[in-house]
Amino acid sequence: MQNQADKQKQMTRRGFLKMMGGIGLAGITASIAGCSTDPAGGKGWMPQQYQVASSWPIQVKGRVPIDPNNPSIVRDDQKCILCGQCVEVCEKVQTVFGYYELPIKDDITCVNCGQCTLWCPTAAITERDDTARVLAALKDKNMHVVVQTAPATRVGLGEEFGMAPGTFVEGKQVAALKKLGFDAVFDTNFSADLTIFEEGTELIRRITGDLKEPLPQFTSCSPGWVKFCEYYYPDLLPHMSSCKSPQQMLGALIKTYYAKEKGIDPEKIFSVSIMPCTAKKFECQRPEMNSAGKHVGKPALRDVDAVLTTRELARLLKSQGIDINNLPDAKYDSLMGESSGAGLIFGATGGVMEAAIRSAYFLITKQDPPAAFLNLTPIRGLKGCKEAAVDIPGVGTLKVAVVHGLSNARPVLEAVRKKEAPWHFIEFMCCPGGCISGGGQPRTSLPPSDTVRQARINSLYNADANIYKERKSYENKEVLALYEKFLENPNSHLAHELLHTEYVDRGKKLTAKKTV
Amino acid sequence: MAKGVLVDLTKCVGCGSCTVACKLWNDLKWDPQNPTVGDKVKLNDKNWTVVGRHEVKDKDGTPVWRFVKQQCFHCKEPACASACFAKAFQKTKEGPVIYYPHLCVGCRYCMVACPFNIPKYQWEKTFPLVTKCQMCSTRVAKGEAPACVSVCPAGVFKYGDREALLKEAKSIVAKDPKYVNHIFGEQEVGGTSWLYLSDIPFEQLGFKTNVTHRPLPSFTEKYMQATPYVAITWGAILTGLYHYTKRRNQIAKENNKNIKA
Ligand code: SF4
Ligand code: SF4
Ligand code: SF4
Ligand code: SF4
Repeated sequence: MQNQADKQKQMTRRGFLKMMGGIGLAGITASIAGCSTDPAGGKGWMPQQYQVASSWPIQVKGRVPIDPNNPSIVRDDQKCILCGQCVEVCEKVQTVFGYYELPIKDDITCVNCGQCTLWCPTAAITERDDTARVLAALKDKNMHVVVQTAPATRVGLGEEFGMAPGTFVEGKQVAALKKLGFDAVFDTNFSADLTIFEEGTELIRRITGDLKEPLPQFTSCSPGWVKFCEYYYPDLLPHMSSCKSPQQMLGALIKTYYAKEKGIDPEKIFSVSIMPCTAKKFECQRPEMNSAGKHVGKPALRDVDAVLTTRELARLLKSQGIDINNLPDAKYDSLMGESSGAGLIFGATGGVMEAAIRSAYFLITKQDPPAAFLNLTPIRGLKGCKEAAVDIPGVGTLKVAVVHGLSNARPVLEAVRKKEAPWHFIEFMCCPGGCISGGGQPRTSLPPSDTVRQARINSLYNADANIYKERKSYENKEVLALYEKFLENPNSHLAHELLHTEYVDRGKKLTAKKTV
Repeated sequence: MAKGVLVDLTKCVGCGSCTVACKLWNDLKWDPQNPTVGDKVKLNDKNWTVVGRHEVKDKDGTPVWRFVKQQCFHCKEPACASACFAKAFQKTKEGPVIYYPHLCVGCRYCMVACPFNIPKYQWEKTFPLVTKCQMCSTRVAKGEAPACVSVCPAGVFKYGDREALLKEAKSIVAKDPKYVNHIFGEQEVGGTSWLYLSDIPFEQLGFKTNVTHRPLPSFTEKYMQATPYVAITWGAILTGLYHYTKRRNQIAKENNKNIKA
C-alpha cells in the first residue's frame, strides 16, 4: 500500500516534469500508466513444453519453415502458438522436415502436401486462398469458366455443411458449382478412367519390353508423392509412370478437345479444379503443365488456371449464400463428365491399383475380369503398405504394392533401390488414406483420425459397388469416344503430347540425410 | 557465471519459431508492415528479434540462402548501459543487458551509444519507451533458456556458460573447415553474450564487422559528443531529470530495488 502511494506521488512529479518539457519526449515511462518496477518483457505466455530449466531437449518443438512463395500453403504468424504439430506431421508422417542435411541450399524443402494444415490446431497454416481469382473469372462475361471435381471432394464437402463424415454429396456438389455460375462441370473421375488406359498401356509395354523403362512402375497421380520422389529418390524417376495426374490430363483436354468440339477459343477458357489436395496448386503451376498451350501455339496458357481445395469451395459457397443441404442433385456435363466406379475409387488408397487391375485384365485378355477383381480387399484399408498378387491369363502373376503416407514409402523405395522389390507396379499416395485425407479436405477431426478417413473411404467403395453403373474404366463411353474422335489410341503421339509428362531431378536442392 | 547463447547459422532453416516465441513471451504486438522473417525484416520496438533471409554464394560460388537471427548481442561491457545516466540499462551477472522502463527518462542516449543500432524507440506512443531484446532475463534468472532458444526445432542454439560455449565454438571451428575462422561476438566490442558461427563471411550476412574490439564504454564520452542536438535542446530538462532520477534512485536503493550500481 505504501509502495502504491509512492508511485502515485512519483507519477504526479513525472506528469509535472512532462508538462515542463512541453511534449511527450522527456522521461515519460511505463509508470505513468501505473506500472511496476520490473524489467521490460517476459509478461507473456509460452506453451508448457518450453517452460523448463535450461534448454532441455524435448519431443514436440518449433514449427515447419514455409517459403513465402509456397504456391500451396501460407501461415498467419499471429495465430501460431508453437505447438509443434506441423513439425510432428511433416517429420514423422511425411518424413520431409529434418530429412535433409543442414545447411539448406536455396530451397525450403516442402512437398506441398498440406498435411500440416490438417494438424495445425489454430489453423495458422492454411491453403493459399485462390477463391478471389475464381470469383473474378466467374464474373468475367468474356470467360468460359470450366470446373472439374476430384473423386475425393464428393465425400468430404458435406462435412463443411454439417453432414456426417464421408457423406456422399456428388450431385449436390455439381448443383452448387452450377449455381456458382460455372459454364461446364466436368468430373476428374473421367480422366481417372483415362489414366487407366494410358498408365495400363504403359505398364504392359514395360512388362513386354516394348518400352525400355524399368519395373516396378510407380503411379504418378499424387503430386506430393511425385515431388517427394524428385527430392529424395531422383535416381528412381525412370520408374515413375510418364502419365500426368488426372487433374492435368483433364486440364489439357479442356483447352484442346473440349474447345475444339464446342468451338471455343482456348484463350477464353478459364479452367478450375476442385481438389482435396494442396499440392495440386503446386502441380498446376509446374512450368511444363502447358501442353494445351503448346498444342495451340500459345505457350503462356496454363492447362489448369486455378485449384481450389474442398475447404476453399466450401468457403466460396458460404460466401455466396449457397447451402448444399438445400440443393437437389444435378448431373455432370457430357463430353467429360462420365465416370466409372474405378475412376471414383482413385480417391482412396489402393483405388488406383484396383482400378488398374480391373482394366489390365480386360486390356490383356479382352475379357471381363472375374468378380474377385471387383473387390480387391488385400489392397483396401488403412494399412501403410499393402500387397497383392493377381493371376492374369497370358501374362502370369502380376505383383503389386500400395503405399500411402510418405513415411511408408521410404522402405519400399529403398527396396527398389537395392533391386529387392518383387513388384511390377506400385501405387504411391502422398497423404495417409489417399486423397480422401488430402491436405485440402475439411478439418473434421484434429489431427485427422482414421475413423473419419475410413468413413470417407467406405463412402467411395459403397458408391462404386451400389451407385455407379459402370465399374470398369474401359466401359466409360465418353473416354472411348475421346480416343475415337481425338486421341486415336492409348499412348498415341497426341496422347503423349497432352497426357504425359517428364520429371525434374530435385536432388540438387538438398543433401538427403541417410535414413536406412 | 555469465550465460551466453551460441548460434550456429548453418543450421537455421528459417522457420521463424524463435521470432514467434519472442512475441508470445514478451507479449509484443505484431507489425504487418515489418515482418519478422524473410527478405524485408526490421528490428523495431515490436520486433525484438527477426530472422533475415540472405541470398549469398557459398565457397564454391553456388547461390545459397542463409537465415540470420538478429537481436541485442548483450555485450559484456554494454555501451547502452554506460551511456544511460538513469541506470535504465543494466548488465546482470547472468549475462542479459536489461531495461527498466520505470527508470528511463527517454533521452535515447542508449540508442546513439549502441554500436549495433539495437535499442528502438516507441515513436508512435504518447509515452514512449526504449525497447530491445532482454535475453528473457526473467527466464534466465530461473535457469531457463531464453524463449527463442527454447523453441528452435533445428538445433541452431546452444545455451550455457558463455566461456564454455566460446571454448566449444573454437573447437567446432578448428575441426570443421566449413566454418569461417571467426566467432562473431568473441571480441567484438570487448565480447558479447551471443556468439555466432557461420560458413559465410559475417559481413556478407549483414553483420557489422568493423566494430572495435575494445569495450565501448571507454568511447562513450565520444559518442555523447556526437549528439550535441540532444544535449543542447533538452539539456536543461535532462539536468532536471537527472537530479530527479538520482533522488528516485535513492528511494529505490532504500527500498532495495533494482539498482545494483
Ligand atoms: S505441406 Fe507437407 S511437406 Fe510442406 S511443410 Fe506442410 S507437411 Fe511438410
Ligand atoms: S501447427 Fe500451427 S500453431 Fe502449431 S506450431 Fe505449427 S503453425 Fe504454429
Ligand atoms: S548490443 Fe547494443 S543494446 Fe545490446 S547490450 Fe550491446 S550496446 Fe546494449
Ligand atoms: S527457430 Fe531456429 S531454425 Fe527457426 S528461424 Fe529461429 S533460429 Fe532459425
